[in-house]
Amino acid sequence: MTRMFYYLGLIVEYFKNYMKTRLTYRADFWVEVISDLLFQATNFIFILVVFMHTDSLGGWSQNEVIFVYGFFMVPYAVFSCFVNMWNFSERYIVKGEMDRVLTRPAHHLFQIFLENIDPPALIGGVVGIVIMVISGGQLGLPFEWWTIPALIILTLCAVAIYTGIYTALTSLSFYSDAPTGILPLMFNIQNYGRYPVTIYNRTIQILLTWVIPFAFVGIYPAALFLQREEMTSMALLTPVMGAIFLGIGLLAWNMGVKRYKGAGS
Amino acid sequence: MSKRLSFTPSSPRPPRPEGRNSRHSGKRLLLGAYLDFIRIRFLTMLAYRINYYTGILIYTLNIGVNYFTWKAIYGEGDSLGGFTAVQMTTYVAVSWMARAFYFNNLDREISTDIRDGSIAIQFIRPYNYVFAKMMQGLGEGMFRFLLFMIPGMAIAMLLFPVQLPTAPSAWAGFLVMLVFSFLINSQINVITGLSAFFIENNEGVMRMKRVIVDLFSGLIVPISLFPGWLSKVLEVLPFQAITYLPGSVFTGRVQGVGIWNVLGIQVFWFAALIIPMILLYRAARQRLFVQGG
Amino acid sequence: MNAIEVQDLRKAFKIQKNREGLKGAFADLFKRQYQEVIAVKDITFAIPQGEICGYIGENGAGKSTTIKMLTGILVPTSGHLKVGGYVPYEERERFVQNIGVVFGQRSQLWWDIGVIESFQLLRKVYRVPEQDFKKRLDELVERLKLQDLLNRPVRKLSLGQRMRCELVAALLHNPSILFLDEPTIGLDIMVKSEIRDFLKDMNREHGTTILLTTHDLQDIEALCSRVIMLDDGRIIYDGGLEELKQRWGTGREVLFQFGRATKLETLRQWTEGLAVTWSAENELNAKVWIPLELNVSDVLGRVVGQADITDIKIIETNTDEIVRSIYQSGSANKPEEAAGSFMAETTEAPHV
Repeated sequence: MTRMFYYLGLIVEYFKNYMKTRLTYRADFWVEVISDLLFQATNFIFILVVFMHTDSLGGWSQNEVIFVYGFFMVPYAVFSCFVNMWNFSERYIVKGEMDRVLTRPAHHLFQIFLENIDPPALIGGVVGIVIMVISGGQLGLPFEWWTIPALIILTLCAVAIYTGIYTALTSLSFYSDAPTGILPLMFNIQNYGRYPVTIYNRTIQILLTWVIPFAFVGIYPAALFLQREEMTSMALLTPVMGAIFLGIGLLAWNMGVKRYKGAGS
Repeated sequence: MSKRLSFTPSSPRPPRPEGRNSRHSGKRLLLGAYLDFIRIRFLTMLAYRINYYTGILIYTLNIGVNYFTWKAIYGEGDSLGGFTAVQMTTYVAVSWMARAFYFNNLDREISTDIRDGSIAIQFIRPYNYVFAKMMQGLGEGMFRFLLFMIPGMAIAMLLFPVQLPTAPSAWAGFLVMLVFSFLINSQINVITGLSAFFIENNEGVMRMKRVIVDLFSGLIVPISLFPGWLSKVLEVLPFQAITYLPGSVFTGRVQGVGIWNVLGIQVFWFAALIIPMILLYRAARQRLFVQGG
Repeated sequence: MNAIEVQDLRKAFKIQKNREGLKGAFADLFKRQYQEVIAVKDITFAIPQGEICGYIGENGAGKSTTIKMLTGILVPTSGHLKVGGYVPYEERERFVQNIGVVFGQRSQLWWDIGVIESFQLLRKVYRVPEQDFKKRLDELVERLKLQDLLNRPVRKLSLGQRMRCELVAALLHNPSILFLDEPTIGLDIMVKSEIRDFLKDMNREHGTTILLTTHDLQDIEALCSRVIMLDDGRIIYDGGLEELKQRWGTGREVLFQFGRATKLETLRQWTEGLAVTWSAENELNAKVWIPLELNVSDVLGRVVGQADITDIKIIETNTDEIVRSIYQSGSANKPEEAAGSFMAETTEAPHV
């Protein structure tokens, strides 16, 4: 319990330092928010263009696909805020900051998360919620007592999946210090989790469901709110997948650190 | 104990015979230096093998996902924005594969050089910084062309109904245009990278550039599928020259004289983008040498 | 009680070999070749609590690797080590609570914000109670004269100011053992001596054990009662500094600047009978090399009375030179009385 308070205290402290840093570079803050939103906007344009040419995507209407997109933005925003490991290899392995992290009395992965928090990413989550409300309203989706708690739980589980996948991939930096890396490529793939996976063939469905389960950060959990019964069971599986993949990520990370401590750099 | 040192390929080339043709040796050495940039980057890419294995898988997956997405969009219909389903499949496959060749991180590399100050050292070396960077990008592109694009295309052909062009003119046109795709994309990257001299943190600019290039070049959606007004706008921007035009030649949507026309558009943009690149480069040098960074 | 105990400590690395050329690179794509390098070769030493010990050697001798093992960053390949009662790599989080680490070349402070913010954050990270923190910070700030710097962002500090802040950052949690990796590198003389004085006081008042690596013999002279010297992963000397200098310091150099042209022959004449060597860049600047057995003052006495001197600088042998002269003879013992075991060890892997 004291340990939990310790780590919560650290989150607050790092957040404060982030804000102080940002206040010295105010322009950057807004450039980042705008470029984030622009990025989301291009994805949105894709959906709009697609539905200019068809009425349904594998049996899903435009509003449904937009709703899924709105949901997708929420866990992604939380994940982007707290887990930013894009430059891990360069900053911590090549420049050697991992050594400093290892001489501090808090969990190493947690320290790295906190040193790289990115609160502006959360704004994308707010936009996502707005999109869900609007498209949900047009679809006439019912608002139940469990809607908000389910949203929170599923978001956290999706964040756990993201974290697990990217932590596992980042752990590869301990073995090979590739500067560009796989992460940007993976970034493309995660976007496929927000389209109805049923439009893909079996191999890709299996891949996006069980191997790199990005379907669980978008379409499956969102289906619960859209009352798509064919995917309800998958939606309920999200917490299990979250636990499994977070576990894999932590395991890979700990193995990586162990190797780092064996091999140095 | 720097394990990393072993990654930087030391120059394993046998010593060149010197003395012969001493009149040309200055120029020749410089050319040799540029070729070395290509070679070294190629070898560096080879050293990162985890990237390589996963890269092939991920590119194939990208093509697959896009293929099925378009298949779902087509549904029963057989033509969208002038593309038949088979043409669309071919377009998707060849666009992603072309991206493997023209894509590079020069913008990121240049702005890193600027931020950590190492650009000052590179500016005083006896070669042109921008040209050397482009050469490194070319080494990277050639690596992906040979080791990603060709095997990747073979895999894509096995899995999806990709139709290769039969006309030799389409092949020749496409390959030439691919070179210009690389040049134009790299020019845009250099311009974005050099902007770090004038914008304190150009991270946002780089991200926007990346998104814009992927969307407006026609990689994600072919330009003819955009709403009329938007495709009109995109036709006067350089981005379509990166993916959409070569893809149109490869899929046979543009044939015969048309190939010369679209090639002309590429050449035009290549020439036009040289101007801001040089201006920016000059301004950057000015800033570095006169104001001291 | 010993603060640091090391026994038969060894660290081996596997290093990737890159085969040559394009063909080699393709071959590497499918099968890697590795090479084993032993950075630290079965070293043994113990440092009692409250001692300041210098850890010296050339680059690549294994200094950093040892420090990294002692601070829990690296896990040893074999051997035993105990630091502050802990085995560093076993209980990392608890262990590091007791140590402070400063890497001279790397900052542990936030770049863009006031130094005090970094200190506040470290207080939370190390769970230092508010009152203890206040007291300790006041003390350190006072001692290192940082009052005016606390709110300045790190990027606006000079190297010397930054280094003093780094020390504070490493000491806020009152560690009993302090590891310093090149703490004075790149600093000017004033700051260097300030930092040395501070470390000496720290050691005296709090009994802090300090292990430092350095290339600056003056750091060692000012601080260390003991020196451990490393070469090619082995300890080649472990003992007092004076003894080391006497045995291995080869001499000193004195630089003269004259107000009026002074010929080399004249200088040689003045020091006739002393085994010194003169050299000169021009008629206004000359230097003389004085072997250890001579007194510098004897030589100076002969010159000062007769020449018009505008500046004098005495240069002591630095550790690197001492180390180099030790390598050349292959052992840290005096060449004539070299012990067999030492010889055997060093000749086994000759330094190149």
